[in-house]
Amino acid sequence: MAMQTIVQTVARTLAEEMARDERVVVLGEDVGKRGGVFLATDGLFDRFGPDRVIDTPLSEAAIIGAAIGMAVHGLRPVAEIQFADYVFPGFDQLASQAAKLRYRSGGAFTAPMVVRMPSGGGVGGGHHHSQSPESHFVHTPGLQVVYPSTPRDVRGLLRSAIRGDDPVVFMEPKRLYRAVKEDLADDDETIPIGLATLRRQGDDVVLISYGATMAETLRAADALAGQGVSADVIDLRSLMPWDEALVLERVARVGRVVIVSEAPRTLSFASEVAATIAEEALDLLEAPPVRVTGFDTPYPYAQDRAYLPGPDRILHAVQRVLDH
Amino acid sequence: MIGNLRRFEPFGAAPVRVIDESGRWVAPFACDLEDDALRALYRDMLRSRRVDERLSTLQRQGRLSFVASAAGHEAVQVGAAHALEAGRDWVFPYYRDLPLALALGWPLVEAVAQQMASRLDPARGRQMPAHAGSAALHMFTVASPIASHVPPAVGSAIAQKLAGRGDVTLCSFGDGATSEGDWHAAMNLAGAQGAPAVFLCQNNGYAISVDFRHQSGSADVAIKAHAYGMPGYKVDGMDPLAAYYLTRQAVQHAREGLGPVLIEALVYRYAAHSNADDDSRYRPADEVAAWRRRDPLPRYRRFLEGRGLWGDAAEADLLAEIKAELDRAVAAAEDAGRAPLGWMFDDVLSAPPLQLRRQREALARTRDLERDAH
Repeated sequence: MAMQTIVQTVARTLAEEMARDERVVVLGEDVGKRGGVFLATDGLFDRFGPDRVIDTPLSEAAIIGAAIGMAVHGLRPVAEIQFADYVFPGFDQLASQAAKLRYRSGGAFTAPMVVRMPSGGGVGGGHHHSQSPESHFVHTPGLQVVYPSTPRDVRGLLRSAIRGDDPVVFMEPKRLYRAVKEDLADDDETIPIGLATLRRQGDDVVLISYGATMAETLRAADALAGQGVSADVIDLRSLMPWDEALVLERVARVGRVVIVSEAPRTLSFASEVAATIAEEALDLLEAPPVRVTGFDTPYPYAQDRAYLPGPDRILHAVQRVLDH
Repeated sequence: MIGNLRRFEPFGAAPVRVIDESGRWVAPFACDLEDDALRALYRDMLRSRRVDERLSTLQRQGRLSFVASAAGHEAVQVGAAHALEAGRDWVFPYYRDLPLALALGWPLVEAVAQQMASRLDPARGRQMPAHAGSAALHMFTVASPIASHVPPAVGSAIAQKLAGRGDVTLCSFGDGATSEGDWHAAMNLAGAQGAPAVFLCQNNGYAISVDFRHQSGSADVAIKAHAYGMPGYKVDGMDPLAAYYLTRQAVQHAREGLGPVLIEALVYRYAAHSNADDDSRYRPADEVAAWRRRDPLPRYRRFLEGRGLWGDAAEADLLAEIKAELDRAVAAAEDAGRAPLGWMFDDVLSAPPLQLRRQREALARTRDLERDAH
């Protein structure tokens, strides 16, 4: 097997799922002949044709809304939002329709569908090509939310998302699209939505992250290893539902924890993890949980390297919990 | 085939009409409905009016929290329902569509149970009154945000186009919905995709208090269809036969793969927007009275009587039947009790996350989840 990037994995997994199940259809802006502006749907149009790879008008409300209606008919739509920053015209469709359909109909209607969106900063795109809006979706009961960081997790979680029975917001770490490569075995592995994974095992501090900041978090862990500090590193992968059990188990073992997320700090998912740890495991902590996050500003342009939680800010936070 | 059935041309100046105010047939084609079908239109209209009146009474008695009367909208909704194949075609209604839902076959006990959040409500008491839905009838559960159901309706029609069986989707909404971005996004997508959708705008002239002149600079709603590449029609929404024949033509158009259609039905709501509204603040009394004189029920009854299909005895029998049916439905819904507390936690996702299970257990320590939520 050749090494493949995250964005290649998205395209390949979509092709495999479409071949496996004829109910799977892809829709969005530029997903057809263009193969997606990031090439995440590359090759699908030629292979599956315009009935299953649908170039839509430039309207996120139409894309997500149509996906809901198609899902109600038993199709398995995978909608692409070109950048997560552009989901907001379609947010009402996610929040008012998709998220509440099972609930408001007493289970008579469901919307099994996936809304993929390249997310996060670090690509020189300013605030309208860089945001990490996962908290909006996590805070909307009725949606599942995943934010993987490796090709293998992208493949396994995308399979689960497409085959599952719920609307899934599938956030893709676009600055890692071509930065992380993996040699994937040719198998049908799925990764259940809601399970985190351990990327490193260590005894001095637990680092928790997800999505694109996994890269910075792992670099920080490597730097710590060079200083003789061994870090446990958890990749949450899924945010709703999320793997509270693994987090509490590892934090209870070590007693020191730093949570990393590039979203704005207030009401970030890192805050939810910190609050849960405080509520469930306070007696086992050696230091307060510390968050390393984006700032409570719109995502900046000229200063985005300082906005993103880089290894230096993570190391500083680790020092704080070690010194406590 | 549509060529033979096409009776109405789009974008006409006058609304489509089949019977006049006196109940006389004025269309340039002959009636092809059986007597039973003609009577069924009246039965569904009268039944809906009576259900509507009972719901208002129950609301005033404090036995349900909200009512959005559909009185005045019966003709268009019943006419449209009779032009569809219930259970085959799909319907995406809005909150003022009780006559449509009942005419499609929504069981009265389910309808009343939904209003009362009874244990008999298949939607498990999850929504306020006036939010219909039925999987068996392919009737998509109503959501309150105006026009938010129009993009999903287009998705439904696209799925039907892909399936290639000639099924169609009817999506219903009021005049206010045509100002929402979601409405335009959906109409545009339907046109671009040639989706087999029939859009039914019930223009009663007011979005709560805002009249149509303040809603849009367009002369009417039907003209907007032009911009989306679909035919637009206006119909006298107080004429059930006009609504039936025009919807039938639109459904046939969509079934044959000719794309979407927009119908604007000119109607009037006789009550305020809801029990919480005071329409005397924005509607002149003489305007209401003028529309009252155009009530679709006596108008259509005159048509039936002119054909010898209706009379006082039939009316009395039907009213007694409706009353008995309503009494039974209300009693059943109330006797079953209100949705229990524990149902709050179900149907969020296909399986409840750990955190939600814990929240349920925490509440169960202090409250009996099997009991009525009140």
